[in-house]
Amino acid sequence: MATVFMKWLEMRPQNYDRGIRLLTLGRLELLQAQIADRLVGEGMRVLEIGCGTCALAIAMAEKGAQVMAIDLSPTMLAEAERRINQVGLEERINLKLMDASLIGDQFEAGSFDLVVSSLAFSEMAPQARVYVLQECLRLLVSDGKLAILDETLPERFIARLMVGVIRLPLRLLTWFLTRTTTHHLQDFESMLSNAGFSEEVVISHLGGSLQLIIASPADKVASYMLPATVLGRLRHRTTLRTLLLDLWATFFRILPPYPKVNPGLYVVGQPDPDSPVLITGNFELTVRRLVRATDNRMDAWVLVVDSAGINVWCAAGGGFFTAEKVIGALRVSDLEGVVGHRALILPQLCANGVDGWRIRQETGWDVNWGPVRAEDIPDYVVSGGVKTDAMRWVQFPIKDRLEMVTVTLGFYSLLIMLPVAIFWRTLFWPILLSLVGLSYFYAVVLPWLPGRDGLAKSVPLTLISLVGLLVYIVVWDHLLGQHIFNWVLGLTALSVFTAAELQGMSPLMRGEQGNWGWEAVIGAALGLTYWLVPYALGWR
Amino acid sequence: MSKSPTMQSLMKEHWELARTLRRLEIHFDSERCRGVWQCYEVCPVGNWAPNYNRMVATFRNGKQCIACGACVLQCPERAIELRIPNA
Repeated sequence: MATVFMKWLEMRPQNYDRGIRLLTLGRLELLQAQIADRLVGEGMRVLEIGCGTCALAIAMAEKGAQVMAIDLSPTMLAEAERRINQVGLEERINLKLMDASLIGDQFEAGSFDLVVSSLAFSEMAPQARVYVLQECLRLLVSDGKLAILDETLPERFIARLMVGVIRLPLRLLTWFLTRTTTHHLQDFESMLSNAGFSEEVVISHLGGSLQLIIASPADKVASYMLPATVLGRLRHRTTLRTLLLDLWATFFRILPPYPKVNPGLYVVGQPDPDSPVLITGNFELTVRRLVRATDNRMDAWVLVVDSAGINVWCAAGGGFFTAEKVIGALRVSDLEGVVGHRALILPQLCANGVDGWRIRQETGWDVNWGPVRAEDIPDYVVSGGVKTDAMRWVQFPIKDRLEMVTVTLGFYSLLIMLPVAIFWRTLFWPILLSLVGLSYFYAVVLPWLPGRDGLAKSVPLTLISLVGLLVYIVVWDHLLGQHIFNWVLGLTALSVFTAAELQGMSPLMRGEQGNWGWEAVIGAALGLTYWLVPYALGWR
Repeated sequence: MSKSPTMQSLMKEHWELARTLRRLEIHFDSERCRGVWQCYEVCPVGNWAPNYNRMVATFRNGKQCIACGACVLQCPERAIELRIPNA
């Protein structure tokens, strides 16, 4: 990101580590520690390309590895040597002044268990990268690993633009000062796979611009070509965009416009014509959770069907995700020309709206109802399509209840708290705390409250909240009669609301569509009571 | 017939639908069942179980039924219906 800074740091190796730490906001150290922890074991033979001041090499040597560390800067190596002597690891680290392009000449094939490189590949010319990667493959043992920690160009346009704007002046300055330049790694995935590696793990930091890529020699060295109708490979990544989307989804998931994925055929991993075909809707969160569950665990074709950006259960129930949409997507993607079998795996929770027999009869594809949750897909596929009852039954565990109550709170607390903030400003915090407290309390105790649906469960919830009010009055504060009256009404309203609204957040309770009617009736009754009773009692 | 929907009529329709959904119960014509078990495959609340001896499906109980209609839609024999009892 800051090329000038890096060049300057390289001229002053004593400051190098401190500067790099600053430049990457400490993430580099974190990722280097992960390399040392995860990949390095006693007696391993490690090659580090571009060792700098040997911070990583020392960490690896401390784990018991025998490290060959190369760098092309004599000043860096001098500083590295000083540090190594300081910690007394001369026996375990060999330093060598050389260019990375010469590793093939200097070392024997299969002489390393691990090749690591941090912030070195981005300094090489693109052609050199490909060559060095190929040589790494030769130097590694067959079950060896390659770990590359480097600056990358984010995939997203906006993030790219930001990185570019920040870099441009620095690049110019670097050019004037040192007549050199560095490049972010771009299309590094395809470079890796062309060199014969298969990627295993990618950990991203700083909006995707700093990545740790762990790869190993691929089984199939032949380069992999995706069929023409495939829109792209879906990867599980954490970027600035996904973080923002997650933040939005945490509070406002139920508000349109829903983030969408372009419908069409995608791949996860490197599927072949025998790999399974997974079908899903095009709600962004749905697709991302499917990818999170399957990426790095299996190879599959993923057919994303247009469900109007809605999750599969609601889209199928509401007529947005239908057999017709699935059949259309099958035709458009020419899936028949891509895979050798005729079996589709559909999410079980779209069976309420997607007519499986229509797909079978009109297309000849067989329809298998997969598990309810995406996490179970790899196990389901590995077992040859055996769906255990745990995979087929919907649960509403505490984790989901807390997540969904947050989703309802995000939107509905706006609905409630906005008028409160305007009309009853002094009561803002007490009411907000009551709403939030009641909601999370309800989410926790939901299974133990009597009642078949949310509306029925609102009765015990109301009673509990009123007991809470009583305790408050007795222990802390003796409220006036009128205040008690107001709080009883208010807590009743919030309890009914909380319980009735959470019902729609899981397929487990039925009839949620009618709740708003009852909420309106109960709300009106409470409102009338609030308005009329004070007159009757002579308070107003 | 072809009156354009008003806010009131839409709300009424929604309310009726919700009322209907609450009262729906599974009606299973076991004579028609051939044991395809699509109902078992798709039921999210475990209301259906395969009977391997007689090669039919059995309906456990309607208590957890959420009237999603998946079993109705996926039964090739049209053996399952969602009905309002006594109507």
